Amino acid sequence: MRFPLIFAVLWVLGLNFGFADEISFNRDVRPILSDKCFSCHGPDGKHREADLRLDVEKDAKESAIIAGDVELSEVILRIISTDPDSQMPPPDSGKSLTAEQIELLKNWVREGAPYQAYWAYSKPLPQRIPDTQSKWPRDPIDRFVLTSQINQGMEPAKDADPVTLIRRLAFDLTGLPPSQRQVEMYVADPTRQTFARLVDEFLDSPAFGERMAIYWLDLVRYADTVGYHGDQDHNISPYRDYVIDCFNRDVPFDEFSRQQLAGDLLAGADDNDLVASGYNRLLQTSHEGGVQPKEYLAMYAADRIRNLSAVWFGATIGCAQCHDHKYDPYTIQDFYSLAAFFADVDEDQHFKVGSNALPTRRPPEMAVLTRWQRERLRTIDQKLSEFRGGSVKSENAKPSKSTKSKAATIARLEQEKAQLQAAKRTTMITQSTEPREMRVLPRGDWLDESGPIVTPSVPKFLGTLQTGDRHANRLDLANWLVDEQKGIGGLTARVMVNRLWFLLFGRGISSSLADFGGQGEPPTHPELLDHLAIQFVQDNWSIKRMMRRLVLTHTYQQSSQASPETISADPNNLWFARQSRYRLSAEMVRDQALTVSGLFIADVGGPSVRPHQPTGYYRHLNFPRRVYSPDRGSGQYRRGVYIHWQRQFLHPMLKAMDAPSREECTAQRPRSNTPLEALVLLNDPSLVDTSIALASRLLKRPAISTPQRLREIFQIVLSRPPDETEMSVLTDFFTQEIQHYRNAPQAATLLLESADDFVDTEMVAPVELASWTGVARLLLNAHETVTRQ
Amino acid sequence: MNNPITPDLSVVQRRTFLKRSGIGLGHLALTKMLANDAAAAGADANASGRSDTPHHLPKAKRVIFLCMAGGPSHLETFDYKPKLAELDGQPMPDSFTQGQPIAQLQGKQLKCQGPLTKFAKYGNSGQLISDFLPFHQKMADQICVVRSLVTEQINHDPAHTFMNTGTAISGRPSMGSWVTYGLGSETENLPGFVVLTSVGGRNPQPIASRQWSAGFLPSRFQGVEFNGSGQPVNYVQPPPGITRKQQRRLIDAVGALNQHQLDKTGDPEIETRLSTYELAYRMQTSVPELADLADEPQHILDMYGAKPGDGTYASNCLLARRLAERGVRFIQLYHRGWDHHGGLVQYMNTCCGLTDRPTWALLTDLQQRGMLEDTLIIWGGEFGRTPMFQGKGGAGRDHHIKGFSMWLAGGGVKPGYSHGGTDELGYHAVDDVVHVRDLHATMLHLLGIDHRRFTVRHQGLNMRLTGVEPSQVVRDILV
Repeated sequence: MRFPLIFAVLWVLGLNFGFADEISFNRDVRPILSDKCFSCHGPDGKHREADLRLDVEKDAKESAIIAGDVELSEVILRIISTDPDSQMPPPDSGKSLTAEQIELLKNWVREGAPYQAYWAYSKPLPQRIPDTQSKWPRDPIDRFVLTSQINQGMEPAKDADPVTLIRRLAFDLTGLPPSQRQVEMYVADPTRQTFARLVDEFLDSPAFGERMAIYWLDLVRYADTVGYHGDQDHNISPYRDYVIDCFNRDVPFDEFSRQQLAGDLLAGADDNDLVASGYNRLLQTSHEGGVQPKEYLAMYAADRIRNLSAVWFGATIGCAQCHDHKYDPYTIQDFYSLAAFFADVDEDQHFKVGSNALPTRRPPEMAVLTRWQRERLRTIDQKLSEFRGGSVKSENAKPSKSTKSKAATIARLEQEKAQLQAAKRTTMITQSTEPREMRVLPRGDWLDESGPIVTPSVPKFLGTLQTGDRHANRLDLANWLVDEQKGIGGLTARVMVNRLWFLLFGRGISSSLADFGGQGEPPTHPELLDHLAIQFVQDNWSIKRMMRRLVLTHTYQQSSQASPETISADPNNLWFARQSRYRLSAEMVRDQALTVSGLFIADVGGPSVRPHQPTGYYRHLNFPRRVYSPDRGSGQYRRGVYIHWQRQFLHPMLKAMDAPSREECTAQRPRSNTPLEALVLLNDPSLVDTSIALASRLLKRPAISTPQRLREIFQIVLSRPPDETEMSVLTDFFTQEIQHYRNAPQAATLLLESADDFVDTEMVAPVELASWTGVARLLLNAHETVTRQ
Repeated sequence: MNNPITPDLSVVQRRTFLKRSGIGLGHLALTKMLANDAAAAGADANASGRSDTPHHLPKAKRVIFLCMAGGPSHLETFDYKPKLAELDGQPMPDSFTQGQPIAQLQGKQLKCQGPLTKFAKYGNSGQLISDFLPFHQKMADQICVVRSLVTEQINHDPAHTFMNTGTAISGRPSMGSWVTYGLGSETENLPGFVVLTSVGGRNPQPIASRQWSAGFLPSRFQGVEFNGSGQPVNYVQPPPGITRKQQRRLIDAVGALNQHQLDKTGDPEIETRLSTYELAYRMQTSVPELADLADEPQHILDMYGAKPGDGTYASNCLLARRLAERGVRFIQLYHRGWDHHGGLVQYMNTCCGLTDRPTWALLTDLQQRGMLEDTLIIWGGEFGRTPMFQGKGGAGRDHHIKGFSMWLAGGGVKPGYSHGGTDELGYHAVDDVVHVRDLHATMLHLLGIDHRRFTVRHQGLNMRLTGVEPSQVVRDILV
């Protein structure tokens, strides 16, 4: 693809948006005004200069902007001024406009300075699906994408090859590599039908919920410890299992939201709703001697609003804790009025009863079973009553069965029941109490009681709740967030679909996943984003249906490999003319190694697990002092989503690969590539264990030649056969390893010392096993292995 | 919290990347790509810092921050208050404490506690230093004591977070990360920001790894913790039985596979990975070599009072010097044990016994090697302690944030100088108040960085270590 010169020139001028379009206020102008002007001439009334605000059209056009007249518009005169006294932005602000930005503003004024309602606060509108004279689109989504590419003079990348595509799909939907069977199935018949079948298979797998949960748990800052000071364990793992279960059962996102924010207030709230309401308890807490409860309650309120606003509003309302938001229309009053929704959450007991035990106490808590355990219990109870009631005919048609066997069945069921009941886990829940008084804290200062008292209400500019005389509560808030008619459901849907898109394309349609405000990135495809948001609501907020829809697009199935020209033209992949490539998440790196090694244990849910961790890593924790005891057996081989999440000292493997501490909302993990990550991949005992297991798995197969074996291990790890160059690298490396261990067999014994726990070492010669372990380590360290392509 | 951070980072990456780029992307495309992709933050395993810093000629090249975790009493170290001795045992005047935040003494009767030791003037400068610190007395003419610090957080964990990041909200970069991000590292073989910890004293308070987090800066700027025992750095040791030669062969083979992939795809991330594996390999040699004190002469070990491998503050001070010599930019030591709510005399003896001499040895050793002039040493806790009595097992003091002492020495700081002061009871800083933000601004200034211009774009805001509240360089203490 060659690019015309004009395109290159426009690009150089930074007018990459302007190729085929007119100036758009939301896309082109507002970001400049927001970044350079709104801090003093925006929503924050307290710090507004010269009584001028530029974010509101009427105010701006009173004098500062004269539509159509560049010479008379004070805004333009000020920004082109070289006089330090009148120049805008003022020199000491450290801000300035580029020549291109000034030119753009001039053109915008010339064209009459049209404003637009801010995109993120406007309801998504049904969009006309663009016509394209192309066979490429498979879904309306593809038409939106293709049209934008055409406007940019671009075209889609070629289709990804089957192996890349099936690996991408498996990681994206399950967080695991595809099985050999799935790879073979798709490579043998790489049609859309087979692909769709595999999509359904992945969506139906319990691994889907685990994969999605990791993302949600990052958003809501789920962790196993309190975060502050002694960072003691708190009881919360049933909430994690609830999240996994919801994704697996495809609980509609509106219901999912209601349960978490206000499960305790739902009519007939059951265990499931109460576990879900644990959301309100996920924040960091402290019972350090000498905490001032008032101060901490203020901190908790702010923490909560930061999270609520990031997760559901896609906003940074936390900025309004001390002052009106500088860039968005949230006021300090809005901040504390939102906080007032949560003033009924019973959470100050721990200041008195919080203990330095593991786990500590964070009442209110309750002991629960998972949903599937509860269902099993019901089944057992039903069976037991049937047996005891004598109506066993339907169960057991043979009258010859003796009462003896009936008694045995009852005993077995009773035993299972007792086991189930013993498996109850404690979890923090929300209980509503008399709401605490909530005041606006001027400058966020908890010692200042001069601010007005506020009652629960939603941000003014977004509407009001109609609750009559009744004080609004968390359930009203939750309903409003997901009601596209009476609330801001359409806006919430937009925030969420943008994130689902991100999970499958590596970049959001708006790339600021938790900030749709003025300082965020406007969407590159606003029409597509609206289209998806509407679809999401129409599909009854079904996440599975949306994920399915997205992966079946042609856009999704493009290659991530692009020509240097395409990369030059669109380095950030704004136009999705290729797929994205990035390192797998920490959990996926772990889960993949476990899967290919055969050690993987696919159990869903349960208490958190403790894999190997460097000795003494918790030595700085105190109250109580911590001794880390890694799990023996199965806990070592569970998925990353179940790893004990110690906020202050996150497992160093997870940390090295950018898993967040979950002190705050994380909508997008960074993607680093550091020496510490290399050291983990090279030396982490868990990864060494998986290498040994993978090697032994290989050696247990029928005797085959070394080259065949090298091909096989390569295929197991990378789902494809090696090429010639790769074979020669593998062969050379293996030859050196086996020579080394033949000369130093005791080194093999040393390496395999830990392996008795999980490998039948009697079966294989240590020298062989150690050498193949080397090959396994090599492959698990390869860039391709840890990259989603 | 982790939106990709943007433009300011691009300069480093662009520079290092272009230097290394071999795949023929246009300059501008690269700029744009790197500017918007946090992934590219790893473009060089140990980059040389931002291109617009230093802003001015630096006085110091590196920082050694000696954090006395728990909060040492200013009233028994550097801030002598005879009036407090007079009022010993009497009620603390309300005028001092009314409306002020208070920690463990909430709801308790507040009584004055006179100084629990003697003070005298030392050196030509005549700085007042307490009897608990005989080796500090010898440094009187080298250190600059600031007696008017204030902070905003009264509990340990948030107070450390405030001291390190300028805010109590989690997720912001620590000062060590800021500095390393700004100036890069001078070593090819070690991380640019290293943390060492030791323990000994009363009720060691926990320290969270948040304190050396890179926050929203790329994670390669996070502090790397060196362990006193076991593996000096997590995962730096190859698996059991694997020789260095084998590990080299493995990395070469990984490199060969990755190079092959790079040839096929031109993916710049692969190039980065090649370089991170090289640095990882070098760390496997350089870290154990650094941690091994066997090549230190006995008289140096004696001077510090260090025994190799004992994990003490003394050993850490010696390691700090070795790290400084090797070009590490920011070295932070924590000594946990200064939380003296009770038994203050006993525990001051313990803590000072463990830290006083090694601190002196570090300063002296650096001076002997001509390194003190471009090393900034900062000593202090996350806060000070109340003039009021607390009695958890003998006389002690509660947390205090309205006035406390720290000292600075070395690159660009006035030696033998006292700055600022508290009121007659040592409660409020009243003369030349120095906020934690001012300390940060001053530290950055000495490193050649203007704190106002040192910003990183995050969540649509230009973030800086000193935040948005007023802050200033403490000019008085500069040479």
